[in-house]
Amino acid sequence: MAMMDQKLRSERLVFYEKDVQRIDEEIDGLLELSGSRCAFLIDKDGHLVTRRGDAVQSSLESIAALVAGSFAATREMARLLGQDEFSTLFHQGERESIQISLVGERALLAMVFDQRTNLGMVRYYAVESVRRLTEILNEIDHREVAPTSGLSSDFSSSAVAALDKLF
Amino acid sequence: MVQINFAQKQVNAKIVYYGPGMSGKTTNLEIVHQRAPAPNRGDLTSISTDGDRTLFFDFMPLDLGTVAGMRTCFQLYTVPGQVYYNSTRKLVLQGVDGVVFVADSSASMVEENLESMRNLEQNLAEYGKSLANLPLIIQYNKRDLPDALPVEELNRLLNPYGAPCFEATANTGQGVFPTLKALAARVLESIHSGNRGQGSAPVGLPQTGFHPAPNLTAGAGSGAPRTLQQTGYNPMPQQPAAQQVQQPQGGRPIPMQPGMPQQPTQPGTQPGTQPRASYPEQLARTTVHAPPGGNGLQPIPMGQPIQRLPQQGQPQMHPQMQQQMLQQQQMQMQQMQQMQQMQMQQQQMQQQMQQQQMHPGTHQTGFAPVPPSMQSPGMQIQSSPGVTLAAPQPGGSLGMLRVDKGQGAPPPAAAQKPRSLPAAKPAAKPAAAKQPAAPAPAAEAPRIQPRTQPMPTPKGGKKRLVYAAVFVVVALGVGAFVAKMVLSVL
Repeated sequence: MAMMDQKLRSERLVFYEKDVQRIDEEIDGLLELSGSRCAFLIDKDGHLVTRRGDAVQSSLESIAALVAGSFAATREMARLLGQDEFSTLFHQGERESIQISLVGERALLAMVFDQRTNLGMVRYYAVESVRRLTEILNEIDHREVAPTSGLSSDFSSSAVAALDKLF
Repeated sequence: MVQINFAQKQVNAKIVYYGPGMSGKTTNLEIVHQRAPAPNRGDLTSISTDGDRTLFFDFMPLDLGTVAGMRTCFQLYTVPGQVYYNSTRKLVLQGVDGVVFVADSSASMVEENLESMRNLEQNLAEYGKSLANLPLIIQYNKRDLPDALPVEELNRLLNPYGAPCFEATANTGQGVFPTLKALAARVLESIHSGNRGQGSAPVGLPQTGFHPAPNLTAGAGSGAPRTLQQTGYNPMPQQPAAQQVQQPQGGRPIPMQPGMPQQPTQPGTQPGTQPRASYPEQLARTTVHAPPGGNGLQPIPMGQPIQRLPQQGQPQMHPQMQQQMLQQQQMQMQQMQQMQQMQMQQQQMQQQMQQQQMHPGTHQTGFAPVPPSMQSPGMQIQSSPGVTLAAPQPGGSLGMLRVDKGQGAPPPAAAQKPRSLPAAKPAAKPAAAKQPAAPAPAAEAPRIQPRTQPMPTPKGGKKRLVYAAVFVVVALGVGAFVAKMVLSVL
């Protein structure tokens, strides 16, 4: 059973409301202190966990996928250079910039900021927030995962039916 | 890796289209993007070369809608098929929940198909996954080619696991949606049940690595070639429990941290637990510390100008700067000494003038001596009207300013032989010089009479005093000017 739980834990990532609420509070504080526009918490597979701050007009799914892909590419580059991975990425734009920080082993924190703040402020406050977010994610990771993970019993059959309607 | 977010009420799964180069993976995605209902599809993001060859990945989110209170989304990815981009393909496979293998039905692409299938197995193995227990659908694309191999042949070569397979012609859209629908269903079933995979591996085949499919008609029961369908989804027949292959002990390590490549485990160690320095620690390692303090200066001998020592922790002054400061201080000291000398000389002059007043006729000319030390090349002393400059006398005598009083020409003897005074003589000297002068008046007894009455103020004495005062002021001004010039030069 423990092995099954571990397998499930390794094959899915489950966020409950209280988990996301804690994460949102932490990110809200970070945005206020650093003066950033918005922040995304993305898992390494490219799924968006939560977004806080100003709305982004672009597709959030695409942004999450690109952030994860970009980080994965640089991580591979780091390994080729003899590093474990690069814990922080920074892309500077003309009006806005984005900093991506590794959170624990599973997630990425992407912060978008503009001229209202500066990189030093963002990095300074991101360090502590990343540490607290890592603790939250570790608690989630080591929690027992039920096989159904809270999904309704007819989820799969309903989903398959929805597929028939869609296609 | 499926993400179930109860806060957002969303279920996310990742599907990857895999296969050799130019097999039709991106075409599949484009067809889905074109024909899927607009509310259900997202933007198609392609990272490709100028020649429209996938460079990193293509991505498109597909929203299935709300199912059992949960918004169900599939993220569809394609990988670059060229062998050159193997490392990139591996990155995209991270967290995959289901794979569509798009094979090229052309007879000339058999080797490429096999190589791609082996590569898929290898890359999945790095994440601790295998085609044996991962939802897999095989699509035999380009069925419209004249040299397309029979499906049975392709199945024999590429489908050892008995995965559902579909024929397709992606550029026309045929077979695209049935493929996607079949895989999505299997992924959804695996989400709920936790039982991944489409079936057991055939008997005798290893868990990892790809080998050509054995003769599946031998009655092994592991999955005979299925009847292909153009549309619809036909689930695989369930395998009898007795024929399920036992997982070899320790054959596939269960990943402790998904998304990370597997580390070779050693007794007593836990994989994936390499300590990693926190960001502040990494920052501290790169901090550049200031060089240690210490003046490194020699002891200053007495009498020398006191040099300001750099405080500990502060950067030391450049040696040249230190020398310049020393020189400036020395110059200042010299200037102060010269000023003092000038003042002393002026005092002497005043005393002498007082003596002259007491003894009129001895000296008619006034002068403002300029010390040789104060004279510099190119120095110009402006003369005021009525004042003529006397050239410096040989032998180091002073240069003097001779003033024409305008009250008659001075005595020729006095004019030709101006009286010179030593530069720095103590104040007692005039008193000493006075004594030898005493006999002179005695020798000139007929001219000078001993005084018995207070000496009356000679005519023009006040003017002489005024002129003397003027000379003193001018001398002071000249000295200050010269000092300023010297300082500016330094």
